[in-house]
Order: sequence, then structure tokens, then C-alpha cells
Amino acid sequence: MCKRTKEDVCVTKTFRHRTRKRKKAIADIISTVEFNHTGELLATGDKGGRVVIFQREQESKNQPHRRGEYNVYSTFQSHEPEFDYLKSLEIEEKINKIRWLPQQNAAYFLLSTNDKTVKLWKVSERDKRPEGYNLKDEDGRLRDPSTITTLRVPVLRPMDLMVEATPRRVFANAHTYHINSISVNSDYETYMSADDLRINLWNFEIINQSFNIVDIKPANMEELTEVITAAEFHPHHCNTFVYSSSKGTIRLCDMRASALCDKHSKFFEEPEDPSNRSFFSEIISSISDVKFSHSGRYIMTRDYLTVKVWDLNMENRPIETYQVHDYLRSKLCSLYENDCIFDKFECVWNGSDSVIMTGSYNNFFRMFDRNTKRDVTLEASRENSKPRAILKPRKVCVGGKRRKDEISVDSLDFSKKILHTAWHPSENIIAVAATNNLYIFQDKVN
Amino acid sequence: MEVQKEAQRIMTMSVWKMYHSRMQRGGLRLHRSLQLSLVMRNARDLYLSAKLEEEDEMAAGVGPGEDFAGRQPQLDLQAPSPPHLEGARAPERLPQAPLEASLLSPQPLETPPLPSPSASPEPEPMETQEEPSSSPAPPQSRTSWSRGASGPPPGATKPSRKRRSSSLGKIGAAEAGLVPSKKAKLVEEEGERQPQRQEGPFPSLARVLQDRFSGLILPPQAAKGSEEPKASCRQGDGVLSIMVRAVVAF
Repeated sequence: MCKRTKEDVCVTKTFRHRTRKRKKAIADIISTVEFNHTGELLATGDKGGRVVIFQREQESKNQPHRRGEYNVYSTFQSHEPEFDYLKSLEIEEKINKIRWLPQQNAAYFLLSTNDKTVKLWKVSERDKRPEGYNLKDEDGRLRDPSTITTLRVPVLRPMDLMVEATPRRVFANAHTYHINSISVNSDYETYMSADDLRINLWNFEIINQSFNIVDIKPANMEELTEVITAAEFHPHHCNTFVYSSSKGTIRLCDMRASALCDKHSKFFEEPEDPSNRSFFSEIISSISDVKFSHSGRYIMTRDYLTVKVWDLNMENRPIETYQVHDYLRSKLCSLYENDCIFDKFECVWNGSDSVIMTGSYNNFFRMFDRNTKRDVTLEASRENSKPRAILKPRKVCVGGKRRKDEISVDSLDFSKKILHTAWHPSENIIAVAATNNLYIFQDKVN
Repeated sequence: MEVQKEAQRIMTMSVWKMYHSRMQRGGLRLHRSLQLSLVMRNARDLYLSAKLEEEDEMAAGVGPGEDFAGRQPQLDLQAPSPPHLEGARAPERLPQAPLEASLLSPQPLETPPLPSPSASPEPEPMETQEEPSSSPAPPQSRTSWSRGASGPPPGATKPSRKRRSSSLGKIGAAEAGLVPSKKAKLVEEEGERQPQRQEGPFPSLARVLQDRFSGLILPPQAAKGSEEPKASCRQGDGVLSIMVRAVVAF
């Protein structure tokens, strides 16, 4: 178990997305990170539409210090830039979300989505190749049939391991607005995709139609007051899902109640604290991420300044609220000027739902232990992340005398933000995306 | 004054952000636009309330605005004012500029738009004049209007305006999108307050920005001390009109 107050988190590996020209391109910025259900694979998507999958090494007795390190397993271009000629709009290739399907055979399947199109990818290994074709030679060139005098049976011969990714399904043309979430249902037959105003339910086998299960688009767009910001299926109940809104509310819907789930089953909203009322209150209350706990009993939401844990059985207020970077509350105007106030941070649970993690600025990320109520701030930076180095807790000085190892609020680098993090489903291994760098941290082995 | 300046600055910044968001790859983001509109609305409210307080102080030496007392029935329309309006009475006493009366409440479904006491003589004659032309208009819209209820019901026909076709009187015509929105142009042509209608933040802000801040987006030396900026700078107008279209067309 990762002890929050002691320096037990060490660096395993650092990866950097890099273009061929070795320049810090916008396309290399990591936009999503996701472990698969076993934790063996870790997928990242970037703004250039690429997906990079890392695989954990098998632990070796010969090299115990290299316990389960992650190495690049596969890289492929998932989405390309497109152009909507009707609206004269460019469709970004940025990967917004990746979601893994549970493994059912030797191949791996994942969903990746940009603003408009969801794709199902099959990632499989090939370590044999057929040789001895009759109609084509070893280079693949076709042979003249008139020159063939004998027939032979092709045989499979070993080859260097090759990992290939093939698009198996393309789910397109179902979203007018920008897709912000995808979530695989626990029935493993359906999944949903959510944009700003609608949520669609898909079957993996059917690409030419989807069911619209939530539609909050008003008849008159001038009356629009809120949008959908995130959505997720319940981990065990295939009929239940939640979606969050820009007003800071969460709605839980039951697909058994009606075909169109515009009417929620539960509505989670916390009354606004009048003392925290400010000019930008409505913006910072927008929920950027919502996640069910692994148990399915709780949901966690992230708004601009806090992380909240809600009990599904209590709708009027969260059971826990954690201040991520409350020192920014007095800086909201500046953050509005530099657009940082619009940043959408994600949040994750650990495998046992006892610790939650989220990102912040200056490449800081925060962990909160729900049981001990302790929290820690760590930094993902190349200077502090030598392999097997122990991470030192960081602290932000909010006022008064700044200690030696503290950093003042004014010194924070708001261009370095950690929006995307992931936690291994069963072990204390975390993946943190900082711009175009991916950091993998895990518990130190004593 | 500082509050006004800050509010103006934020509004101007928000307009620019809205404009630039249209230029970014992927097109206009609905969520971002909504957030920007919320900030613009808050800045607008703050600006107006600060301006009114300042004018109240100035008018205190002249005398209370008793001529506004007769507008109380219409002021009741805005009784459920949004919580973030600072100074509940501030929106009730919007002075001369009829365009200011076009500023709408932030919750168009729940709270009615803000009428302008100074422009209120105009809505009444407008309603009278338009009655024959808007014969299909259902009576409940006018009834609810005159009763000071909380805005017309969502499905009711909006109060008809000048230069509108009779199809406007048909229920749901506007909602069905059968009638093109000409709000910005109507402002230019009529130059007076538009009657209240259940509108979202975008059109009202477009009108406000077009008429109030076109003079603000100017070289620093132009119209600096002016209380009432006029749309005199062609370049600013051009830029602002683009922004207005960006907001309205969204």
C-alpha cells in the first residue's frame, strides 16, 4: 500500500511522446491514459490521433529490479484529421478517450474516440507467418500461373513478434456535438458515447445505428443552460449510468425505466456555499470528470477546485469533499485570462477505492486517502524522476513565510498541468501524463 | 468605477475569447461557449449594477426617479431575479438606453427578461400597434405579459415585433425555427428596445455588445472618457459584428 506521508512512491519509467522531428509538437500532447482490466496494458492517446500501448514486462527472477516495467507494445494511428464540408469545420484527430474491453481471447480490444467518431481496435500478436504460397512468391508478388508446375501446401513458420492493430468497427455520424466520454457497459455488448447534449447507446456489432438514450438539447438553442460533461456506466449494473453537467450536477439514469432517459432516477447536487460565491462560480462548478468506484457504491466527481465523493444513496450532498488547490480560488480572474479555468481535470480511484488521485498545475498531482484523511502532493518532472528515484512530497505555500522546500502560488507554472492520470486496477502503479511525457510510478519495494 | 472598468474588461476579454474559439481547430465548442456566455452575463450584470449605483448617486442630487414608479407592474415580471444580480433593484432602474432593456435574465426559462423603465412607454404602443398584425397571436401571451407573470409560458407565442411576418403569431413558429432570427439586424434597423422574449444569453449579449462595446474596442486614444461609447470606429464595428455573428450564429 502506498504510504502517503512517506516517500514510498518511486519512479518506474518515463516515456516521452516524440515526433520524428524531435520537437515539442502539439500533436505529442497526451490526451488520455487508461489501464486495461488486468493492468497488463496501458494505453495513451495524444492530440495527433495516435495511440501508444505499453505492456508490462513479465517479472523475471534474473532481473528482480526490473519488476514489471512497462515498455512500448504497439503504436498506431487511430484517427486522422477530417473535414466536415457541410459545416466547414475541421474535425480534430485528438483522442479524447480510450476504453478497454475485457479480454476474451488472445487479442485485445479497445475503443478510441475523437470528437465525432468512435473506433473499435483489435490489437493482436503475430509470431508466425505463412510461407509457401503457390500464386505468389515470398516477396508477395504474384506469379504467372503458367509458370507453376507443382503445388505445395503453405506452412506456418515462426517470425519475429509483430503486434498489429486493426480497426474492426467504426462508429461514425452519430454525434452533432463533440464527444467527451465513452463507457463500456458491464454486459460487454454495448457501450455509450456522450457529447455535449446527447448520449447514444451502441452495440459493438452494429455500426450504422445507435440508440439515443439522453437528449438535453432544448427546442430553442437560445435556452441552453447546461451541457453534458462526462458519462459512465455502472460497473456492475448494466442498466444504470450517470452523467454530469456543466452546472455541477450528476444524474443517475436507469435504462429500464424508459427508452429515453431524459428523466433521471437520481439527481445529485450540492447546495452552493454562499460564502464561496464569486464571479466565476458557475464555471468552476462545472464537473469535468465522473467515475464510479470499483464497488459501484460511490461516484467521484471533479470540478475545477475540488474532488467530491458521493454515495449513491444520498443525493443532497457529497459524503466527502477534497480541496485540490483551493489557493487558486483567489486567482480565478487570472486563470480566466489565461484560459486555465477551462481545464478539465480527471480523477481516478485506486483498486480498493481507498485512495483517489487527481492532477493539478506545475505538474503536481494529488492523492487523498479516504480512510486516514491524509493527502500528498507529488510532482511529475524529469528532474525529479530518475529511474527508481523516490518522489518527494511537495507543498504549496499559500501565504506567510515560505519554507525552503515550498513553492509559492505565484511561482506555479500553469502551462504544466496534469489532466490525465490512471491507476492500475489492482496494484499501486499509477500513470501520469504531463504534456507530452508519461510518467509511471509505483510503490517502492523495501 | 473600478468595478465598471473591470467588468468591461472581462466582457471584452470574453468576446475575444468567443471570437477566437471559432477560429480554433475543431470548431466552436459548445461547453466553452456556454461558459464564456455565463461570464459575459455576470460581467454585464456587474457592470450594469455598478453603473446604476453610480447614476443613483448622481441622480440623488437631482431627485428620485419617480417617473419609474408607474412601471412597477412590468417590473414585477422580473421579480424572480437571478441570484447573482448584485443589487436587486439595480436592474429595475435601467436608464435611458433602450438597448439596456434588452438585457435578459440569465435563466430565460425561469426568470423573465429585464424591462427598461425608460423604454416602457414604447412596448405598450408597440403592443398596440402590432396587435392587428399579430392577430394569430394567442391571447394568453399578452395576458401573461400584462399580468406581470413570470414570463410567457414556454410554448406560447412570443410577443410579436415590428417588421415580423404574421407567421410569428403561430404557436411554436419561432421554436420550430421557421422564422429566421434577425435580432442583430432588428437592433440596427429599429434602434430601440426589443420586447421581452424568452431568449438565452447569446442574442441579448450580441445586441448589448454590438451597441455598447463597439466603441470600446478602439485604439486607446479614442472615446476613452466617454460614458456612452458610440459605434463610430469602423474597424471596431467590423470586428465586433463578426463577434456578434459568432455568438448569435452559434
